[in-house]
Amino acid sequence: MLHSKKSRKIIATVAVMSGLSLFTASCAGTGGPETPESSGLGDIPKDTKGTVRILMENVPDTDRITDLVANFNEEYPDVTVDIESLTFDQMRDKLVSSFQAPDPTYDLIVVDNPWMVDFAQAGFLEPLDDRIASTSDYDAGDFFEPLVDITKVDGTTYGVPFYNYALGYLYNADDLAAGSLSVPTTLEELVATSKSLTTSERSGIAMQPQRGYKIFEEWANWLFAAGGSIYDADGNPTLDTPEAKAALEAYIDAYKNAAPDNSLSWAFDEAFRSVSSGQSSSMISYNWNLPALNDPSGASGDLAGNFKLAPMPGGKQVLGSWSWAIPSNSSASDAAWAFASWVTSKEVDIDRVKEGGAAIRVSTLDDPGVLADGFGADYYEAVKQILSDAAPLSAGANGEEMIQAVGTELNEAVAGTKSVDEALAAAQAAVVKIQK
Amino acid sequence: MTFKLGMLAPLIALLVLIVGFPLAYALYLSVTDYKLTDRGTPGFVGIDNFLSTLTNVDFWEAFGTTVLYVVMAVGAEVVLGLAIALALQKQKWAKDLTRSMLLAPMFITPIAVGLTFRFLLNDQIGAIPAMLRGIGISYDFFGPGRALMTLAAIDAWQWTPFMVLLLLAGLESIPKQPLEAARVDGGSAWYVFRRVTFPLLSPVLVIAVLLRALDALKVFEYVFATTRGGPGTETQTIQYFTYQTGIQFFRLGEASSMAFVLLAIVLTLIILTFRRIERGRAA
Amino acid sequence: MRKPKLLSVLRITLLWVAAIFVIVPLAWITLASFKTPQELNDPGLVLFTPNFDSWASVLSSGILDAAYRSLVVGLVTVGISIVVGGMGAYAISKYKAGGSVTRFGILAAQVLPPAVLVFPFLTMAYALRLNDTLVPVIFAHLSFVLPVVTWFLIGFFDAVPPALEEQARVDGFSRFRAFVLVVLPQVLPGIGAAAIFGFTLSWNDMFYGLILAPGNAAILPVAISGFNTFRGVQLGAMSAAILIAVVPVVIASFFIQRKLVQGISGGAVKS
Repeated sequence: MLHSKKSRKIIATVAVMSGLSLFTASCAGTGGPETPESSGLGDIPKDTKGTVRILMENVPDTDRITDLVANFNEEYPDVTVDIESLTFDQMRDKLVSSFQAPDPTYDLIVVDNPWMVDFAQAGFLEPLDDRIASTSDYDAGDFFEPLVDITKVDGTTYGVPFYNYALGYLYNADDLAAGSLSVPTTLEELVATSKSLTTSERSGIAMQPQRGYKIFEEWANWLFAAGGSIYDADGNPTLDTPEAKAALEAYIDAYKNAAPDNSLSWAFDEAFRSVSSGQSSSMISYNWNLPALNDPSGASGDLAGNFKLAPMPGGKQVLGSWSWAIPSNSSASDAAWAFASWVTSKEVDIDRVKEGGAAIRVSTLDDPGVLADGFGADYYEAVKQILSDAAPLSAGANGEEMIQAVGTELNEAVAGTKSVDEALAAAQAAVVKIQK
Repeated sequence: MTFKLGMLAPLIALLVLIVGFPLAYALYLSVTDYKLTDRGTPGFVGIDNFLSTLTNVDFWEAFGTTVLYVVMAVGAEVVLGLAIALALQKQKWAKDLTRSMLLAPMFITPIAVGLTFRFLLNDQIGAIPAMLRGIGISYDFFGPGRALMTLAAIDAWQWTPFMVLLLLAGLESIPKQPLEAARVDGGSAWYVFRRVTFPLLSPVLVIAVLLRALDALKVFEYVFATTRGGPGTETQTIQYFTYQTGIQFFRLGEASSMAFVLLAIVLTLIILTFRRIERGRAA
Repeated sequence: MRKPKLLSVLRITLLWVAAIFVIVPLAWITLASFKTPQELNDPGLVLFTPNFDSWASVLSSGILDAAYRSLVVGLVTVGISIVVGGMGAYAISKYKAGGSVTRFGILAAQVLPPAVLVFPFLTMAYALRLNDTLVPVIFAHLSFVLPVVTWFLIGFFDAVPPALEEQARVDGFSRFRAFVLVVLPQVLPGIGAAAIFGFTLSWNDMFYGLILAPGNAAILPVAISGFNTFRGVQLGAMSAAILIAVVPVVIASFFIQRKLVQGISGGAVKS
C-alpha cells in the first residue's frame, strides 16, 4: 500500500476508460436491421417523395449520372437526388463507416466488385430480386452476363450494374502498321509483338507491375491468354498451374525486354502517360481509356486518333464492375430504387453511353444512335466482345486481401526476389488461406 | 494544491477525451474480433489478436522495414541538418531569405510530396532521371534494394529543414565563452566542434532525433503515393500494414492489437533511452 | 590562414547544393502548374507558353475554401493547445509532476497509427451528430498537437528563473496573476515557436481530415489528395494547389523564422 495514492488514481482512470469503452461498444455496428428487408416494390409511383443521398466515386462515370438527375426529376419531381462524390479511398472509408452510423447516412450506394460478397454477407445490402422482377420493361437479361454474376451472392441479387471497368488491349495503330504487325491473338504473339514494337526511343508495351492490385489486375489477363484461370469450376484457386507459370514467365519476359526501363513501381498513371506521349506503343487497361487517348485536347495531342482497342489475346479479360446497391439502413429505399432502376433502364442507358458512360447493356451497344453519335462503331464492337467474356479477380469473401496477397507475390517474381515457382506457390497458398 | 490542480485539470480532461478515449476504444477493439463489416457487438477473443500479431511474420517484417527506414531517414537528417545548421549559423548574406527558403519543404502536405516525387523520379516523364540520363546514368529509384532508400531520401528532403530549425536554435543558445576559450587555446575548427559545440548541442540533438523518429515511424503517405509497399514487401511499413489490415481488409480488431504491440515497443525504447541518459547525467 | 578559407568555401558550396535540392522539386511543381497535359509528358521542357487552365480549374474547385477551413482548423487547434497546454505545462514544470518518463509519456500516444485511432473519432463524431463538420477534425488534430505543444512548453517554463515569480508573489500577486503577468511574458517567444510548430502539424495532416470530414468540409490536404483519382493524377492542377498551400506559409516563414529560432533556443531545446 506504499503507492496507495497512485494506485487509486490508476483505478479511477481504468474505471473511466472502461466506462467509455462500454459506451462505445454499444455504438459499434448498430446500423440497420439485423436481417435486411425489402419492400420488394418494383414500379415506384411517380409521386413518391423523399431524398436519395448517394455516395459515389469522383470519376467521369459519376459526372454522367449527375448530368442525368435533371431528366430524372422530370419524371419524379418530388424525389431529391443528393450525390456526394469522393476519391476512391475516401469513399471506401466513408462507406464502411456509414454502415456503423446510428442514423442512416446514404440511401443508395455504388459497390466495387471485390466488396460485394463481404457487404452482402454482412447484411449491409438489400436483396433486389423482387424489385427487379416486378419492375416493368426493365429487361435485366439485357445486362452483360459477367456484370450480373458479380451482383449475385449465394443466389441472391444485391445490385444492378452501374458501369464496367473491364480491361482490353490498347494500342497505337500507326506503330503496329509501321512494323507490319497485327493485333496479337495469342500469348506468344503478345510477347513477340511487344518486343518487335520496341525501339531505342520507344517501348513496345507500358506495363503496370506495381505491387498489389495493379500487377494482379494486369497479369490475370496474361493468365487468361495462357488458357489459365484464377479459380476452377469448384471455386478453388488455380494459381500454381502450368498455365500460370507460362503466363508469369511471359509477363516477366515482356517486362524485361519490351517495357520501359525502371518501371517496376508503375501504375495506371505512368503507363497512360507513356502511351499517350508516344513513348510506348501499347498497354493493357480499361476499355474506356480509348476515348481519353483519342481526345485531341487531352494528353495525346497530335497522336490522338491513332489509338485502337482490341480484346485480349485469347479473348478473355479481367473484369471490374461497380454496381448500384441499396444499403439495408437506407431511409428511402423505394425512392432509391426509383433512381437506380430509372438510370439503368434501356432508354436512359442509351443517353448515358452516348455521353461517354461505360457500357452495361448489350442492347445499348447495338443502338443506331449510339453507334452514330458515340466514339465509333468499331470501339463499341470491341467493348461488346470484351464484356461477353470477362471474369473478376476475386470470387468469395475477403476479396481485397486476396488481391493484395497475390499482387505482392507477382511483384516479387518480377522484381526477381522470388522465382516464378516460389511466387506462384506462395500466391496459391495465400488465396487458400484467405478465402478458405 | 488547488491552483496546481486547476492548472492541470483542463489539460488532463482534454487528454482523457481526445487521447484517452480513442486509446481505450482501440484497446477494447484489440481484444475483440471486430471487423468493419460486422454488425452488433463484436465477440470477445481475449489475447488472440495479440498472439496472432506477435507470431505474424509480416508484422515483424514491416516493423523491421520501418526501423530501417527511420534509421536511414533520421540518420541522414541529423548529418545534413547539422552541416546545414552550422553553415547557416555563419551565414550573413540574405540570411532570412536563405533560411525561410530552406525551410519550405516541411510546409507541404506529405501526400503531395509523395506524388510529386513519384513523377519527378519517373523514368520517362520525370526531370531527375532525364538529367541523369544526360550524364549516362540509368537508375531505378523504386527498384529492389533501392525503393526504401528512395523513400528515406524523400523523408530527408521534407524533414531535414525541421532538423536544421531545431539545431540552429540549439547552436544559437550555446554560450559564447567556452567556444572562444577553446579557440584562444588554439584548437582547430574540428577540435572545437568535437569537444565544445557537439557536447553542448547533444541535448537538443536527442530531442530533435526523438521528435523526428516518432514522426518518421508513422510514414504512410510516401508509401501510399509511390510503391504501395513494393517491390514485394520491401517498403511495406508498419503504418501501411496496419492501414491495410484495419481499413482495407476491414479487420480493425487485429489492427488495434498491432498498434498496441508497436506502442509497447516504442514506449519501452523511450523509457530505456531516457533512463540511460539520466543515469549518464547523474554519473 | 588557408584552412578557414577552405572551410568557408565548403560552407557556401553546401548551402548552394542544399538550396538546389530544395528548389528543383519546387521549380518543377511551378512549371508543371503552367503546362498542358501534353507538355507535362516532356520533363526537359522549360521554356513554353504558360497555360493557365490548371490554375483556373483549381481556383474554381473550391481550393480557397479548403485553405480557409485548414486555416480555421489550424488556428483553433493551436489556440486550444496553447491555452490548455500552457497551463498544464506550467504546473508540470513548476511542481515537477511526474518526472522525465511522464514528460515523454505525453508524446507516446503519437506512436499509435492514425488508422486505428480514426475510428474511435468517427464513432464519437457520429454519436454527437458532428460528422462532416470540422469539429471532429479539430479533436483529432488536438490529439497530436496538444501533447507536442505541452511538451515544448514544459521546456520553456523550466527555463524561467523561479526567483522572478517568487518576487511577484512577495509583491502580493496571486498565483494565477503571477503566472499570467510575470511568467507568461518570459515564454512568449517560446509560445510563438510552439504555436507555429503545432500549426504545421495540423496544416499538413491529411489522414484524419480524409475520413472525418471529406466532401463539403474537406481541408486543404484532402482537397490536394483529391487530384489523385482513379483515372490518373491531375498533375497540373495538383501542382497549382500545392503552390496555393505552400507559398503563403513560406512567405510567413520569411518573417517569423528568426523569431522561431530564437523562440526554440529560448527553452525547449534546453530541457
